Amino acid sequence: MSKRVLVVDDDADMRLTLKLALELAGYAVDVAANGREAIEVQRRQPAQVLITDIFMPESDGFEAIDAFRRQFPQTKIVVVSGGAQFSKRDYLPDAELIGADATLQKPFEVDALLGLLRTL
Amino acid sequence: MKLRSHLLLLSIATAAPVVALAVVIAVVVVKQERASLRDAAAERVVAVMSAIDAELRGSVATLRALAASRQLESGNLKAFHAEAMRVLATHPDWLSFSLARGDGMRIADARNPPGRDLGPVSDRESFDLAVRTGELIIGRVTLGPEGVNMGVPLRMPVHEIDGTVKYVVTVVLKPEAFNDVLRAQRLPEGWVVNLVDRRYNTIARQPPVPAGQPASESFRAALERSPQGWFRGLTLEGQDVYTPYFTSSQSGWALGIAMPVRAVDAAAWRSLWLLLVMLVVASSIAVGLALLIGWRIARPIHVLAQAAGAAGRGEPVQLPRRMPISELDALAAALGQAAQAMREKQALAEREKAALQAADRAKDEFLAMLSHELRNPLAALTAAAHVLKLADPNDPAAIKARAVVERQTKHMARLVGDLLDISRVAMGKVGLERERFDLGRVVLGVLQTWRASGRLERHQLVPQIASVWVDADRARIDQILSNLLDNAVKFTAAGRRIEVTVRPEGENAVLSVADEGQGLARDATERVFDLFVQGERGLDRSAGGLGVGLALVKRLTEMHGGRVAASSPGPGKGTTFTVTLPAVLGPQQPSAPQAEVTRGAARHILIIEDNDDTRQMLHETLAFSGHDVREARDGASGLALAAEAQPDVALIDIGLPDVDGYEVARRLRAAPGGRRVGLIAITGYGQPEDQRRAYEAGFDAHLTKPVAPERLKQVMAGLR
Repeated sequence: MSKRVLVVDDDADMRLTLKLALELAGYAVDVAANGREAIEVQRRQPAQVLITDIFMPESDGFEAIDAFRRQFPQTKIVVVSGGAQFSKRDYLPDAELIGADATLQKPFEVDALLGLLRTL
Repeated sequence: MKLRSHLLLLSIATAAPVVALAVVIAVVVVKQERASLRDAAAERVVAVMSAIDAELRGSVATLRALAASRQLESGNLKAFHAEAMRVLATHPDWLSFSLARGDGMRIADARNPPGRDLGPVSDRESFDLAVRTGELIIGRVTLGPEGVNMGVPLRMPVHEIDGTVKYVVTVVLKPEAFNDVLRAQRLPEGWVVNLVDRRYNTIARQPPVPAGQPASESFRAALERSPQGWFRGLTLEGQDVYTPYFTSSQSGWALGIAMPVRAVDAAAWRSLWLLLVMLVVASSIAVGLALLIGWRIARPIHVLAQAAGAAGRGEPVQLPRRMPISELDALAAALGQAAQAMREKQALAEREKAALQAADRAKDEFLAMLSHELRNPLAALTAAAHVLKLADPNDPAAIKARAVVERQTKHMARLVGDLLDISRVAMGKVGLERERFDLGRVVLGVLQTWRASGRLERHQLVPQIASVWVDADRARIDQILSNLLDNAVKFTAAGRRIEVTVRPEGENAVLSVADEGQGLARDATERVFDLFVQGERGLDRSAGGLGVGLALVKRLTEMHGGRVAASSPGPGKGTTFTVTLPAVLGPQQPSAPQAEVTRGAARHILIIEDNDDTRQMLHETLAFSGHDVREARDGASGLALAAEAQPDVALIDIGLPDVDGYEVARRLRAAPGGRRVGLIAITGYGQPEDQRRAYEAGFDAHLTKPVAPERLKQVMAGLR
């Protein structure tokens, strides 16, 4: 049985391309547009890995990480975000602090993500 | 030195000459007092002397008469004695009389009748003088021959025929007689009046001294100097006195009236004291007034000095409302203005500082957001590239990936375009290509394009479009609305309403976009239009965008002579952006005859289109023009509705799910009345081949998606 991955991003194209790329690599992929949706999807169809953006409307990535750490402690969490380099606050370390297993800054090579998924 | 001291000095300087003058006047007054007193005394001296002279003259006249007696001439001395005794009895002021021979031997007097020699005369000097001169001589005060009483002898020689002196008749006057004259003067207490003879011996005096006593040294010294005048000296009693004196030319006697210096000066001093008291009182009042005025001047200056200090420190300045000095009023006003200016300057500096900090913060946030906004599409593009690299080109995954690439590159292009636009607008490099158009129609066109792109699919779009004409740049209006829609979509949760309104409002055309998004804090309604600023951005809401759009909206609107405002009932309650542009008169205004034609051209129209957005857009556009519109989603229901409603015009999508548009057209033409109906094809393909096929199928016109409202209007007008 292939590994199931849940991709959470508010950008539909981002969701779509990641889903396509991961499916090509043999993963089963679910998608959600924000943190709350992610939790709902995970309840219906548990995934082994959560790949989430941070800045999303309604319910952000931190909310998702927090909820997953409590409710689905077995799920590995990879955080991808674009808003880091020029920001005074660097959110990726924050994400690791509250429980992300790995972080990737957008844009990233899909191969790098795939490598990361294999190590988890 | 303090201002008050200066003022005090000023008052003293002003008062000093007055005081000096007063002193001079006082001295003059004292002198005049003295002089007038002296003058009065001097007159009195002369008057008293006249009285004494008169007294003397009486006795002299009597003596002359006696000396000329016939008894004496005839040698009848007894008879003469008797006669003289009678005269003596009638002269109480006479002490006695005597008769002497020329050799100085007295031969008769008041006590002794003639008959024997009585002894030599006393005061031989005056006797000899009388004998020698043959004139009447007034002698000096002297003790009589009896050695008992002091008297003043008056001697009158009696001559023989040959001129020799036969007798000398002497009358001795009582000094008391003159004392009576002096007493009658009733001189004030302490005054002294003194009558002296040629030898300066006292004849009479008040207060009295024994007759014959020498006058005071000072009187004698004065008489030595001059027969009349003034002197100051001591009386016999040792009293300090002023003494006017006068010597009678008749008798050679001198009279002095001595006034105590104390008495003379007392009057003068009284005047002087009065003057000094008044001077002191006046000076005190002057100095007091000077101090009071000084206080009234100095106190407001002190207040102003404190106010100036406060103004310098930027503290609030409290100024008295009214100054007692108009110059100070002006100064206070100037100071108030200066303080106000200072505070405003400080406030301005603080605002500028805050604005700079805010701009700095906004710039940081903008850079962070720019990073996020550019990285997101890049991430999608990278992933899409990965998919395209691995997947077969015809694989659905590859097709989707290509669509993603297309969308995301467009998105990035728009971001970059916005950035460039805002900088060009900011630098004034954007010109407007103005033309007159119906704002409502252009807005509908933009909405249609947005629907077609699917970017509104998660929201409920509610257009309320009226016809208002504006003179504007069509492309910029598109940009304004697109940015507002972008903003609304970004901040509004899925399923919520976004209301787009165009309406006339007075002289203006109003375009508003109201969302049911997260709203704005009150203080943010102005700031949202600042470059790089977005509303409060937290982790719970990924705003996205660059914060450039609204700044662009504002500047573009202002370039059109319009204004833009944001309003929100509060956070979480949605936001309404209102763009107000000056309206112009459009051709379809009620006054224009064309409007009637347009209204008269209202038609029954049928839309057969499976795409909801396109169908809805066409519906709105046509309904807006006054047409009666009905719609169907596929060919079968479209044909059924056409049979029932008998439309004037049918707009038919070529790519319908059941039968294609060509087939629908052919069947409509074949139906009863089908030759009258106007048919318009709507396709996604604009090739000549496609147009040819449409005409062959019976269409009157051909429109390519997206359908511009203007084009649709033209085509509609072109139909019968």
